Amino acid sequence: MDSISAQSSPIARLSPDELEAPPLTLRQLAWRRFRRHKMAMFGGIVLILLFIYSIGGSFFFTEGYANYTQTELRLQPPSAAHPFGTDTVGRDALARTIYGGQISILIGLAAVIIETLMGILIGAAAGYYGGMIDSILMRFTEAMLNIPELFLLIVMAKNFGGKIPNITLFGREFSGSVVVIIIIIGLTSWMYLARIVRAEFLSIKENDFILAARATGTPNSQIIFQHILPNSIAPIVVSATLGVANAILSEAYISFLGLGVQPPTATWGNMLDRANNYLETAPWLWFVPGAFILLTVLSINFLGDGLRDALDPRSRTI
Amino acid sequence: MTRYIIKRLLQGIPLIFIISIILFVLMMNMGDPIATMGGRSITRPSDRIRLTRQLGLDKPIYMQYIYWLIGNDWTKVDLDGDSVAETSGTRRGILRGDFGTSLVNRGKPVTKVIGERLPNTIMLMVASEIIVILGALAVGVYSAIKQYSWFDHTITALSFIGYSMPIFFIALLSMYIFAVLFKRWGLPYLPTVGMFDPKVGKTTGQILVHMILPVFSMSVVSLASYSRYIRSTMLEVLSQDYIRTAKAKGLPRRDVVFIHALKNASLPIVTIVGLDLPLLLGGAVVTEQIFAWPGMGRLFLDHVKRADTPVVMGILLMIAVAVVVFQILTDITYAWLDPRIRYEK
Amino acid sequence: MIKKNGLMFLWTTILISSLILTGCGGQQTTTPEPQAAVEETQEVATPAAEKKVVTIIFTQEFDTLNPLYSNMWFAMVTFDLWNAWAWMFDENNEAYPYLVTEMPSVENGGISEDGKTITLKLRDDLKWSDGEPLTSEDFIFTYEMAIDKNNAVASSYPYDQVLSMEAPDAQTVVMNFEEPFAPWEATFWKGILPAHILKPVYESENTINNAAWNLKPDVGCGPYILDEWESGSFARFVVNENFWGTPPIIDEVFFRFVPDDASQVAALQAGDADIGSFIAWNDTPTLEEVGLKIMAQPSGYNEGIFPVINEEKGSIAVDDVRVRKAIIMSIDREAIVRDILLGKTYVPASYWDSLPFYNDPPLENYPYDPEGAKKLLEEAGWIDANGDGVREKDGVDLALTYGTTIQELRQDVQAVIQQELAQVGIKTELLSYDADVFFASYDQNGPAAKGELDLMQWMDSTSFPDPDYYYWFCDEIPTDDYPAGSNWQFYCNEELDALFRLEATQVDANERQKTFQKINKIFYDEVIWIGLWANPDIWAVSPKMQNVKFSGVTPFFNIGEWDITQ
Repeated sequence: MDSISAQSSPIARLSPDELEAPPLTLRQLAWRRFRRHKMAMFGGIVLILLFIYSIGGSFFFTEGYANYTQTELRLQPPSAAHPFGTDTVGRDALARTIYGGQISILIGLAAVIIETLMGILIGAAAGYYGGMIDSILMRFTEAMLNIPELFLLIVMAKNFGGKIPNITLFGREFSGSVVVIIIIIGLTSWMYLARIVRAEFLSIKENDFILAARATGTPNSQIIFQHILPNSIAPIVVSATLGVANAILSEAYISFLGLGVQPPTATWGNMLDRANNYLETAPWLWFVPGAFILLTVLSINFLGDGLRDALDPRSRTI
Repeated sequence: MTRYIIKRLLQGIPLIFIISIILFVLMMNMGDPIATMGGRSITRPSDRIRLTRQLGLDKPIYMQYIYWLIGNDWTKVDLDGDSVAETSGTRRGILRGDFGTSLVNRGKPVTKVIGERLPNTIMLMVASEIIVILGALAVGVYSAIKQYSWFDHTITALSFIGYSMPIFFIALLSMYIFAVLFKRWGLPYLPTVGMFDPKVGKTTGQILVHMILPVFSMSVVSLASYSRYIRSTMLEVLSQDYIRTAKAKGLPRRDVVFIHALKNASLPIVTIVGLDLPLLLGGAVVTEQIFAWPGMGRLFLDHVKRADTPVVMGILLMIAVAVVVFQILTDITYAWLDPRIRYEK
Repeated sequence: MIKKNGLMFLWTTILISSLILTGCGGQQTTTPEPQAAVEETQEVATPAAEKKVVTIIFTQEFDTLNPLYSNMWFAMVTFDLWNAWAWMFDENNEAYPYLVTEMPSVENGGISEDGKTITLKLRDDLKWSDGEPLTSEDFIFTYEMAIDKNNAVASSYPYDQVLSMEAPDAQTVVMNFEEPFAPWEATFWKGILPAHILKPVYESENTINNAAWNLKPDVGCGPYILDEWESGSFARFVVNENFWGTPPIIDEVFFRFVPDDASQVAALQAGDADIGSFIAWNDTPTLEEVGLKIMAQPSGYNEGIFPVINEEKGSIAVDDVRVRKAIIMSIDREAIVRDILLGKTYVPASYWDSLPFYNDPPLENYPYDPEGAKKLLEEAGWIDANGDGVREKDGVDLALTYGTTIQELRQDVQAVIQQELAQVGIKTELLSYDADVFFASYDQNGPAAKGELDLMQWMDSTSFPDPDYYYWFCDEIPTDDYPAGSNWQFYCNEELDALFRLEATQVDANERQKTFQKINKIFYDEVIWIGLWANPDIWAVSPKMQNVKFSGVTPFFNIGEWDITQ
């Protein structure tokens, strides 16, 4: 499973075949390790299925249908016409999980891009330049870390809520609140990554090849982005993968509290809003989106775990 | 060591200061506390103007921050709206221990507003933390000893599920099963919301019964991640030479596991617990909201909704201070437990 | 070397202090119980009956209990228990004298001929729960506190309308106005402050903002008195032994705070509570199933859409009355009420719908007529020439922003209306904000106050049961110089402005009724307001409760007569 558990007796598990095989590239090694990780493979497959579900589903249902209200059909339990039932204004929950899934996944990925960019920039600046820049940036990072993320999210959601108009992208209209949620999740989750990047930079920048690059007068930006960053990509990839799960969860939490993406745009999170009002009368309203969130987060965590093992150069499992 | 503690505390001060500025700026754009003071109707214009002035909300942000920080009793404020500041301020500022008064519960000191709810949250936190630590130790150690057994595999899978579980989902699901379905099936069922049944009154038994579901929901996520952590540290320790030596010496297995291995494996756990404890407050927000538990999380949500800056700032700052203090305590405990670590004098 | 002892000490201190904190929480609240039990056994010894307790669920907690400091409904309703209005309102929302001996009128001399002086005659047997007499001095003190510059009261209205106030003797209060003040009955004396308790506080602190009484009013003048209020949990009111009126039948009123509708419904179903308030419409059948009685009491509140009617603000489309008519005709309001609100309420045709006297002759609703709406839009020049489903005129799409607060019901209705408007070719962008953001003032960048929206939805009432309201004055339009302005529709109609100014001074109800006929007509013709549904207070009452009545103004007016059977 994880690197530590596998360390106990790595050599013994090599088959003679593998010992004699030609040396593999790092990438091949990583893929091989990843494939062995059953749970990671399972996570990857489920994620692909979820992708197919939420992207492919839009060929069967239009977004208009997902938002189509039929008030006389409100709160219908699951049936052949509406396999996941209908919500409080008679919208089809199945179509909404499809379009909600798109938005939830979009939020997860986009927020992680912001998170990663911020984390890399701040971590790299702090780690590479050191000194004053390092201590200012790290104090700021610590300050942000000291406030629980959910509290920060709530405060930020209120701060930016309703300030961004709807955006039309790829012929689809996105509620401005989607952008708000992406930004605030990105802004509240970069701190761990920044610390990881800083630590990587601190250790790599003392290597001979960096000292050589410096001596030859290579510009700082080139050293940072072409020499150090590629060498610290493994932990960043792992952290970003897990970040997607975290962002999807954050969206769900903030939407559950009513401050997330505003309807009629569906997300798995806001389909759960006020779910406790229907705990007993309409359990399908909260169970289905809740299960989708759980499944997605679980798969991403599996995947992240597998990636960690596969990309860890210290992991000696083949 | 004392010097180290003092140094860390001194470092914490600018940190808290930065946090307070970040938060204050965020709070200022959050909403208009006066907007909801009209009750079900919209606040009247004349009241709006008067209250904005009386509550000092007409001042620029930096002045509001200064008043909040060091008070305004050194200056004059304008209360009657004639643009002449003639009345002395009464606030003493947070540096002198005055956290201000709530805008929602007007006249109620923030410390009192928070103080009334804090014990309820701590109750949940302490209970779930105890369950988490004990449960995680039992599960983690057992699955480390029985590595690769079916128990270990099941626990690993389960812990991944638990770790990925959104708190609201486990909360709703457990409420549905243990309160709604159990009641429907005629089984003994658990109460859904609140802290006690008003018919019975606030007895210890009532509180305990009402605590079961919230504590369960709060524990699942941490239990999953802690037990995984303990399992891997245990595995690491068990492969160390001194454990082999101990085994070779013929020490009973029980002693090896519980005295030698666990003691050393518990070191990193201290770190996690110490750092997680204050952050658990965050998890309490959702749990308290669902189970109607009168704690700090719900207080935070209620007051954020009405842009009650003093209370929200008070809560967040309290958590930030708690985090800093717990970080220091964790470091110290760590050093104390592990004689290899020495902090510079 | 580390001082292990010191460290142990530190940890134990933390552990112990947290335990003490937790322990205190438990103790504080457990202690009253043995006491209560003792009292019970002592009292109950003679009548041998069980203590009668009514449990009421509140989904929100009171913010403060000082009558001047809260406009919150959940706080105000408790004044009927432990404080008092000078006159109360019955289940027909009719005023009846309570602290006064009779309602002031021109006939009995309580109101002067010119309408500028109102004289109150107080009962002479009034007393506070600590035995002190309640006199005109308390009334004057209440007035003084309401307008005092050092007191951050919730609202100084209507006391700021008073020119001067005198107390010639202990039972007489004289209020002088500059202009006749028509809405006096519905606005004055919603709670009285005990001067003998608060005056010393005011004298020493120069304000009553921080008086302990505000949060623990242990002196009152109603049939009950606050016994204990535990934040986030409950508030208990017990019988006021010194009550000047008929002693109440029930021994204890227990308010339980639960944060949401679901918890409230669960508690009511389980029989954990006897009365619930603000029941969501779709929960009413569930509650009726288990035998609870649902009582709807008109309180003047109507949910409606306020269009922004100003050439400089919002879409120019909405400025055209034909477009507004098209909007009102394309929304199937009856269907919304029937399906989403389960047919439990109705569509108000007039802003004054719940005041039949001022909506006479009653207005007829605009019909649901999407075809008619399309014709009107075409007439107004909005045609879908490019076939994208959205009408346009001079190259501008008929696209409107439609904002409201974050609330499930509102957001659901928004989605339905968006769909219905789309069917006639009007595109809407839905926006929702937290209430403190949505209702923020002009200088706090509130979207409504800034005129950033085209259609705004919220619920409001007049100064119920008075028809007066201040929204639509031309000089209430918010500007940089007057950011507190309340005319968020940015609508200025000189004729309407004059009519509102006139009605506010018409003490003669029949004259006033005629003015309101004209106002109503303008509202209807100009489609200034689109009523969605009437929003009465919804109560759920356990079948155990006897003789429970509610008023829309002073809900617990007859709480002293309530009884509970086992």
